[in-house]
Amino acid sequence: MYHNSTQKKCWTFHNEEELETMRTEANQTFRAKLFGSGKFPPNDSTHLLEPHEEEVLRKYYEKRLLDFCNAFKLVMPKSVVGTASMFFKRFYLNNSLMEYHPRTIMLTCVYLACKVDEFNVSSSQFVSNLWDSPAGQEKALEQILEYELLLIQQLNFHLIVHNPFRPFEGFLIDLKARYSALENPEVLRKMADEFLNRGTMTDAGLLFPPSLIAITAIHSSASRAGINMDGYLMESLLLRDDRDCLSRLVEAIRCIKTLVKKYDPPKPDEVNLLKQKLERFHSLDLGFSTNLKRKKGYEEDGIISKKTKMEEEEWSDEDLADTM
Amino acid sequence: MDDDQGCPRCKTTKYRNPSLKLMVNVCGHTLCESCVELLFVRGSGNCQECNTPLRKSNFRVQLFEDPTVDKEVEIRKKVLKVYNKREEDFPSLCEYNDFLEEVEDIVYNMTNNVDLENTKRRMEQYQRDNKEVIYKNKIKLTREQDELEEALELERQENEQRRLRLLKEEQMQQLAKKKNKQALLDELESSQLPASMLLAQHKDRTAQLESQLETQRQVKSVTFSTGIKMGQQISLQPPPKIEEALYVYQPMQVETYGPKVPEFELLGRLGYLNHVRAATPQDLAGGYSSSLACYRALQDAFSGLFWQPS
Repeated sequence: MYHNSTQKKCWTFHNEEELETMRTEANQTFRAKLFGSGKFPPNDSTHLLEPHEEEVLRKYYEKRLLDFCNAFKLVMPKSVVGTASMFFKRFYLNNSLMEYHPRTIMLTCVYLACKVDEFNVSSSQFVSNLWDSPAGQEKALEQILEYELLLIQQLNFHLIVHNPFRPFEGFLIDLKARYSALENPEVLRKMADEFLNRGTMTDAGLLFPPSLIAITAIHSSASRAGINMDGYLMESLLLRDDRDCLSRLVEAIRCIKTLVKKYDPPKPDEVNLLKQKLERFHSLDLGFSTNLKRKKGYEEDGIISKKTKMEEEEWSDEDLADTM
Repeated sequence: MDDDQGCPRCKTTKYRNPSLKLMVNVCGHTLCESCVELLFVRGSGNCQECNTPLRKSNFRVQLFEDPTVDKEVEIRKKVLKVYNKREEDFPSLCEYNDFLEEVEDIVYNMTNNVDLENTKRRMEQYQRDNKEVIYKNKIKLTREQDELEEALELERQENEQRRLRLLKEEQMQQLAKKKNKQALLDELESSQLPASMLLAQHKDRTAQLESQLETQRQVKSVTFSTGIKMGQQISLQPPPKIEEALYVYQPMQVETYGPKVPEFELLGRLGYLNHVRAATPQDLAGGYSSSLACYRALQDAFSGLFWQPS
């Protein structure tokens, strides 16, 4: 249950400003690390990504993550997709896109989410969704496994994610059982699903409890269909006597609605520019992401590790796009 | 009863000669020791009663009242030397039992002179057929016997050592006492101190010596098999009572930050279960019920609904 979860304790934040601060800090920390290492000319930030640039790219890869999940050969349950997306968001709260390439992290997030949410896919089955060439698949798998432990660690081992999908079903059941004013609550489902999917791409999961997002989905869907849900809130949820609580709930619903409404997908040309910049930066090979395996002794065999290092940057998003 | 037994040749009975020793040979006929000496001066001869050729060295002291038992024992020993297979030499218990029965047959026949020729031939035949097994088992037997004897020997040696040690200790003690006494006498003879004082000193010394021995003895006996120290005082007082408040069950209070979830048991009555997938018999067998899924969805829906990070 959400009320005693690590999600409530550690991963639900006050407001959007707090999230922005954290992300900016992650960016600054990495810059400091980069300059501190001496491998990079100081005060030369032409190659570096600014926080707002990172945001665009992050949004882009969040979208890519959802696309990848939806194009998955086996139909992925929604909760797996939601969990993967939350992993990705949580990871880049404290890490910079410059330090770890979002493409790898994205795949690792999905892979881990499959395991956490008990969606049984073997690793070879998983990567078979990526490339046609077996060599490329193997390489990708190698990288996923390499980053998996780092990801788990960066998530602070809090692997259970509470998604709004089950609460949504719960509300539908409750509506059917208790709220006779609404004849067929199933009519709300389609719009609410769309709302939830759109919500997955926003930071709503980092700011609000999943139950609140779910009721907002219902509320929004109902209001679009011209149905007023206030009766349900007042009668069934017994908020008639607690005006204060009711107003707070309504306010929160409004906040989520605006948050979801104001989401706009990243612009393709802007994304393409920034992607080039990101690739350029990562091709510099400053030994930040690749020293991971050496540090952890992940690869005992020096030959293999050298080979993968060389080939690491060869595959790009275009490979990924082929299969979608 | 014993008194009726007697030598069939010289008619001496136990009653008349309590030291009479009756001997028996392979044929199972009795003779007294002196008659054996007399008749078998040359080492061998024939039995008085059945004319079986006998050796003097084969005469044994009769152990049983009925000499045929002695004979049987003798025969059995001989037969078992040949028929020395063991249970593990047979593939099944049944065959082993057959073998044992055959042994009994042979022993009986030989003891009671039934079909003697055939039996002997049978035995020889068997011996020829099973030469190797007999030899192997004989060796095995000897080895086992050797081991047993070795163990016995070891034990005997240990006992002997213990006895010697005790003896030595006793001697030491006596020596110490003697020395003490002698010292007293010497002192009484040569010292200027009054006799009473010397006596007191001597008493002290003796007590000391005694206590020393006592402690030595105590050290030796360490613990009982239960692990309790020997000579230790066991307190018979009940252990001190610890006053503690009894545990009182308190139902768990969980703050869900949301509306109250309907009771699990009431889900059906409130009509919730009409809106979830009914459980199939296969589901039910696994312990699943549709209430579980319904309850979980409702709990998830209401959990944290009114909570806001602040």
